[in-house]
Amino acid sequence: MWDDILTTGFLVSVLAATIRLATPILFTSLGAIYGQRSGILNLGLEGTMTIGAVCAFIVAFFTNSLFLGLLGAVLGGILFSVIMAWLSVTMKANQVIAGTAMTILGVGLSAFIYRAIFGIKSLPAQIESFQQIRIPLLSDIPIVGKIFFDHNLLIYFAFLLVVITWFVLEKTVFGLKIKAVGEHPRAADSKGINVAKVRYQSLMIEGAYAGLGGAFMSIAYMNSFTDSIITGRGFIAVAVVVFARWHPTRAMWGALLYGLASALQIRLQAIGAEIPNQFLLMLPYVLTIIVLIGVSKKAEFPGAYTLPYSRMER
Amino acid sequence: MGKTRIKKAVGSIWPAAITIIIALFIGAILIVISGKDPIDAYRLLFNGAFGSAHKISETLVKAIPLMIMALGISIAFKNKMWNIGADGQFTLGAIFSLSVGIYLKLPVWLLFPISFLAAFIGGALWGALAGWLKAKFNANEVITTLMLNYIATYLLTYLVYGPMMDPEGFGFPQTPLLPEGLHLGLFSAQTRIHMGIFVALALLGLVILFWKSTLGYKIELMGQGEQVSRYAGINAKRMMILVMALSGGLCGIAGWNEIYGVHYRLMTDIASGYGTLAIVIALLGNLNPVGIGVSSFFFAALLVGGNTMQRMTGIPYSIVDIIQGLVIIFVITRQAINLESVRMFFKKIGGKQHVG
Repeated sequence: MWDDILTTGFLVSVLAATIRLATPILFTSLGAIYGQRSGILNLGLEGTMTIGAVCAFIVAFFTNSLFLGLLGAVLGGILFSVIMAWLSVTMKANQVIAGTAMTILGVGLSAFIYRAIFGIKSLPAQIESFQQIRIPLLSDIPIVGKIFFDHNLLIYFAFLLVVITWFVLEKTVFGLKIKAVGEHPRAADSKGINVAKVRYQSLMIEGAYAGLGGAFMSIAYMNSFTDSIITGRGFIAVAVVVFARWHPTRAMWGALLYGLASALQIRLQAIGAEIPNQFLLMLPYVLTIIVLIGVSKKAEFPGAYTLPYSRMER
Repeated sequence: MGKTRIKKAVGSIWPAAITIIIALFIGAILIVISGKDPIDAYRLLFNGAFGSAHKISETLVKAIPLMIMALGISIAFKNKMWNIGADGQFTLGAIFSLSVGIYLKLPVWLLFPISFLAAFIGGALWGALAGWLKAKFNANEVITTLMLNYIATYLLTYLVYGPMMDPEGFGFPQTPLLPEGLHLGLFSAQTRIHMGIFVALALLGLVILFWKSTLGYKIELMGQGEQVSRYAGINAKRMMILVMALSGGLCGIAGWNEIYGVHYRLMTDIASGYGTLAIVIALLGNLNPVGIGVSSFFFAALLVGGNTMQRMTGIPYSIVDIIQGLVIIFVITRQAINLESVRMFFKKIGGKQHVG
């Protein structure tokens, strides 16, 4: 058994799969950094991702354009997030409850829309999904090339978004506003920042990112839509954000860790290895709790995390 | 006195009823959009849930774990502890209680109470762990209970694929069956409804009494704000752990009920998302035990009837999920409107009158 595992072929396939499996989580967790930094914990991301997956698939199916599919996912994600923003910012509802509702609603609505269009029992409709783009020269490097430079476009884009997200949050006025609103909304308000507006914007960006994460699943990783296409990835993204302590680069490592755990599990099962891999799958969740303990002790949470802001209350 | 109480109870049912009616109405619109007849759909849904003794039994079988878990969740929620880990606590309760049933060689009359207690302890430990992490490190319980759900799921998968797998099960991921004498009694051989329903109803009564006890009152008081409880001399940290233990313990008992009453063994997907649904039920029931009892019955009917509806009409089952999601959204917007806007509105009017 170990002879099967300790081969370059196995390692390359595991690491390449790690990057693929990390991508949807990375998209969504990068988006969730905006929301959580602005003070809003969105547990509805599971629903937003599913909405993204179904929108991408339907648009791509009927227009034959993957890029229009992506656009559909982004718009769907944004629209869906506006409901979450309305509940948590305007209605000042409890975010845990609102997020739970959004998850149930998003998954249900996606499945309903898909069924209403494609029917209940028909074979799953399929599309031509995003194909691998081999980056010239780089992909010819032995081992490294196969792991890093032989992926579809969305994967490269997700990793590019790490840099973009970092730039927006750390180097722009808008990023500063987001952090101010999440840290101390009253102070931000007194400086003339519109707290509600910034929170709406943060959640809409989050929705766009999560929509892309969902789109990746239906039109890049797979070429069809199923009800259970997201299966917990939205919740994992929330965990990754906490694990990453609201930092884009660390979110990348967090997403890769989850990717590695699932890639190893899939590959080990494929070669029939008799290793109880459940503990491996458990590991990222245990690590997230451990990181959370460290974060909470040092009070690194955004100051107004999960707290609605009202000008009236003191 | 008696009359006003009844009036009050009826008055508190109205908002929930209206919530459901609006959700069903929007569901009906979606059904029309998908080109089907909503009246026909809801008739079949109703028939599917209550159309025969067998169907009523199925609805009750589903309502039992949902009700117990929602009661458990309500204890945490009243304390403003957002326990979303009911699935994990349910799973641990199931693991603990089944282990007692298949590994302890004791007389049956002893095994029943011990397994029941074991289920409570399993769930309580899983819940209290999150409570302790919050009390000790201020770790957000939403994230920890969510993580503990996944950890519990993988623990269960490990057990049914590994050390607890049925040696005569042809490699299926499931444990051996509980000995026959340990199955909760059935009402009739044709239906699955079991004596666990009495346990569920007893728990419902117990929770009603609990809210009248000093401890229950303290938990509620603490949920209303830190300052209040500090003045009342409540040890907030110890309370957090206790609340989560009680909440998780009840969810663990739901696991016992499901194993000893329905499955008689562990499999990989026993919790199957009951936890999320139980949150919806607890909220629709306004965290009130009787309200929870009624709404768990309603949602169980929706689940069971929804399957029939999909089979007979081709309307996707997911309409049931949509209705659930809408119900919570309406409940929270109603609360928000009640609390904030209405108060502000009256303040404004009051203010104007004052000026005038």
